[in-house]
Amino acid sequence: MEIGIRSFFLGLVCTLLSFSLFAQLSEQESEQETEQSVIQPSVERRDINEANIDSENFEFGMLVGVISIEDFSSSMVLGVRAAYHINEDFFVEATYGQAEAGETSFEVLSGGAPFLTEAERDYRYYNVSLGYNLNGETFFSDRWVFNSATYITLGAGSTEFGGDERFTLSLGAGYRLLLTDFFALHINMKDHLFNSELIGEEKTTHNIEYGLGATFFF
Amino acid sequence: MLLRSIQKYFNFVKSGLGIWLTLLFITNPALADEIVQVQITQPYIELHSGPAGGFPVIHVAAKKEWITVLKRRTNWFKVETNKGVQGWVKQEALHLTQSSTGEAVKLADGSFESFAQRDFEFGALGGSFEGVPSMTVFADWVATANLIAGISVTQALGNLSENQFFLVRVQHTAFPEWRLSPYVTLGAGKIRTKPRANLVQSGDETRTSDLLAAGLGLRYYIAQNFMLKLEYQHLQALTDRDENEDLEQWKLGFAVFF
Repeated sequence: MEIGIRSFFLGLVCTLLSFSLFAQLSEQESEQETEQSVIQPSVERRDINEANIDSENFEFGMLVGVISIEDFSSSMVLGVRAAYHINEDFFVEATYGQAEAGETSFEVLSGGAPFLTEAERDYRYYNVSLGYNLNGETFFSDRWVFNSATYITLGAGSTEFGGDERFTLSLGAGYRLLLTDFFALHINMKDHLFNSELIGEEKTTHNIEYGLGATFFF
Repeated sequence: MLLRSIQKYFNFVKSGLGIWLTLLFITNPALADEIVQVQITQPYIELHSGPAGGFPVIHVAAKKEWITVLKRRTNWFKVETNKGVQGWVKQEALHLTQSSTGEAVKLADGSFESFAQRDFEFGALGGSFEGVPSMTVFADWVATANLIAGISVTQALGNLSENQFFLVRVQHTAFPEWRLSPYVTLGAGKIRTKPRANLVQSGDETRTSDLLAAGLGLRYYIAQNFMLKLEYQHLQALTDRDENEDLEQWKLGFAVFF
């Protein structure tokens, strides 16, 4: 019974394939015969317009990395990233990330008197950046070639840390490796600059993040 | 016996499903043979290895050849020739083809012409709100050539307080056909002001007030879906206290349109 059904389907598929093959052959023949005719009979062509071309300008994905929070040691950071590609050179990127700050060296050495409560140690940031692509190709070997881009970003946003939200400038650089047309791996580095007076006097802190990301274009 | 009849029934269901799937496959036009193809009308067009001008030309498709358009990224189109070669062509090159109906292909390309037909604008602006750095994101709907309605959210983070406000806005342009065009804007919304954590002890607390805004701005169409905006806003927070609070904001930023 099983074999019967299988061979039935195999037959069906073969018939369908041969139909399409035949159609292709006859199409080629008709092409040779009537070179003048624009519309060929066996292929149904849809008219081209914006709606029936799959447009992939948005990029969405996750990132994971390490962020060095000034004075508060380094922690793992998790985030999401969305981008819109305006043209081949420029893109707009929005990122949100969160981490949990560690302890200052003073807290570690003195063995008590924490500066911040547990809730205040949550480090959250968002930023909106404008990015510029340096498009290129990456050659892993002679035959193993991928499109890639090195990019730089400049953006602004906010960081919530130590009970306050701070205006934050972010400077970034990254490398995007397109494994397929719609799937990319990222290596990126970003410096988040904001003013803080958590440790006494107000100063500009540099919080450097580096990490890996994976994004899909859609 | 029972087992056998169950098996029989199972096979029946399976074959039914198979036929149904096969039918679906045949009848679904997207899966079957409907494709977006264009025919080259100029001597040749160049296929690049990636969606940018810097990628090398890997193939040249000749006049009268039909190419299948697979996808689009910004102003680049991934195509496949009938020999199976895949590559990316830029929009200007795609406009050197004709569609199945024999018409010259013309797609929206973010030019100033298509700027006039835009429906939505999204953007981000940075600036100064009462002397502290501010960030604004906005989404606008282009109702008519002259009139735009939208919403904006701003965050201004100062040394003394954190301000967040949103505005529902209308924007009017008298000269939509100008590349550099002035506009006026009116809006209403709410503002939330939270004092800094280290100042809470001084007795201040978070407060929310109604907000009115009037502004003047300039927008400049640069190129390819891209425009610049410069705006001055005068805001009035309707506080519970005796006097209303007058606020000022300057901002500069960019927007993309669809």
